[in-house]
Amino acid sequence: MTSRAEQSLGYVILGLFSLIALLPIVGILFTALQEPGGLAAFGTFDGLHFENFKTAWEEGNFGSYLKSSVIVSVSVVAVAVLLSIMAGYAFGLMRFRGSTVLFYLFLLGLMVPTEAIIVPLYYDLRELKLTNTYWALILPQIATSVAFGTYWMRTYFRTVPRSLVEAARLDGASSWFTLWRVLLPLARPAVLTMTVLLFMWTWNEFLLALVMVSDEGLRTAPLGLSFFQGRNTSELSLMAAASVIVALPVVIVYVFLQRHFIRGMLAGAVKG
Amino acid sequence: MAEVRFEKVGKRYGTVDAVRDFTLEIVDGEFMVLVGPSGSGKTTALRMLAGLEAITSGSIFIGDREVNQVAPRERDIAMVFQDYALYPQMTVFDNLAFGLRRRKVPSADIKRRVEEAARVLDLGALLQRRPGQLSGGQAQRVALGRALVREPQVFLMDEPLSNLDAKLRTQTRGEIRRLQLQVRTTTVYVTHDQVEAMTMGDRIAVMNDGVLEQVGTPEELYERPANRFVAGFIGSPAMSFFTGEEVGLTLPRNGAVVGVRPEHVRPWREGLIGPLRGRVAFVEALGRETFVGVDVGEARLVVFEEGRAAHDVGDEIEFGLVESGLRYFSAESGAAL
Repeated sequence: MTSRAEQSLGYVILGLFSLIALLPIVGILFTALQEPGGLAAFGTFDGLHFENFKTAWEEGNFGSYLKSSVIVSVSVVAVAVLLSIMAGYAFGLMRFRGSTVLFYLFLLGLMVPTEAIIVPLYYDLRELKLTNTYWALILPQIATSVAFGTYWMRTYFRTVPRSLVEAARLDGASSWFTLWRVLLPLARPAVLTMTVLLFMWTWNEFLLALVMVSDEGLRTAPLGLSFFQGRNTSELSLMAAASVIVALPVVIVYVFLQRHFIRGMLAGAVKG
Repeated sequence: MAEVRFEKVGKRYGTVDAVRDFTLEIVDGEFMVLVGPSGSGKTTALRMLAGLEAITSGSIFIGDREVNQVAPRERDIAMVFQDYALYPQMTVFDNLAFGLRRRKVPSADIKRRVEEAARVLDLGALLQRRPGQLSGGQAQRVALGRALVREPQVFLMDEPLSNLDAKLRTQTRGEIRRLQLQVRTTTVYVTHDQVEAMTMGDRIAVMNDGVLEQVGTPEELYERPANRFVAGFIGSPAMSFFTGEEVGLTLPRNGAVVGVRPEHVRPWREGLIGPLRGRVAFVEALGRETFVGVDVGEARLVVFEEGRAAHDVGDEIEFGLVESGLRYFSAESGAAL
């Protein structure tokens, strides 16, 4: 039991940190709503001028950038989630020769940062004539996402009672059927959490897009935002509006799935 | 229905022999209990029969068929797990029907068989619930039902009662036995609880350290244990062991270890072997009877007294042994003499 004073202190500390987390976001929002070309300082409230979003959208070509981002993110997440579930199932619940070595190989993909592989990757993809196509953004990100996803799903499948899988086997279910019909319905929080995380990382990926594509029509939203910022260094409110536009899809996906997301995060922490 | 045969079956994990040279025949329709302490290999033996563990050596037969290389689902067995292993997202009905659906049984038959099992196990009102909404006892009955509807050749049960409270356990014990007598399906039941073994099994196989120590009816195991391990494992309170020298008696088999169950150690009266004198070490008064632990020299014997006995720890009491109740074991090998 916690005393009243302890509880109050807890609220104060939590409130303080929430404030620290929220302030920059509120600042961006207020700035995005300031009068265009106005003199208000960053983060101060200056009325509701929604036209900044319209201007940024049109001047910054964000329609095209967002389209590219959606194409890349949805492809990457869909394929990576599917492959991660299957690989995680195999590593988590099946016994086969070399599984440990193979799993560490997967982990390598999780540990090596994009910066370390970007140059050779560029030459490889150029060789394959894939630079300046969506493939150059999709394929490498599927690979890194599967590394994380496999690790994530393996951890989840390891927490599933073994007897459940064995019962299904004795009941006549194949491995395939057991995965999709017995285990996956239980894994929904874990899968949704993984989906949100992968979506967020793919959406926000910057370096790969910067190096691999030069075609304006292929640029993703974060890259587009960076170019837009380069052109509008003085227009704080436009830059803020553009940032909100680019960040919004991730926020929407998060809010949409957040109840499952939180449950999934906790599922790994506390058994039972 | 079918008989089950283990022939010189072994299971090795790395350098550890979990089961060694295990040979056991279970006749058609029999209720066989595998009992032993943790790590004795009883569950491993059951899992090998289920096909969930590969066999390192030997053969297992179900009916006339050697099943070493047969996949679990082809073995026509049903298993009840210790934690029930119900599918959490499915209703009780779907849990029961799962195995039948996988086997492409016509849905009219499925319905009939599920309803029949639900009736027998009193699950009728629960068919639309999910496992999370069931009490422990109900979940346990669903797990039994899932095995029952399959109408398999062999039931395998892996400590199915160990998650129930004491009262429910006693009740379910009877229920499982009654069901098995009704359907007469060959059953292999694993437990570490010798009371379950004694009350449920047609025959009991006692395992220890990966080895089968003795197979027999409950009465055989109790009356004529093959060795010291079985003698000490079966019966509660356990058999007391001592040597003649330790208690100052001259007994027919000199040098042997003597085993005697509490009911054959009584307060002193004429006709018993004795008298022996010792100090009371503990008193377990159960109301109808009292077990008194008595230290005599190096040995500790448990004395059985009717009703409530008035002794305190440290008291000196006099008691004797019933001659027909004495069992003799080799001091070296532990085998019965």
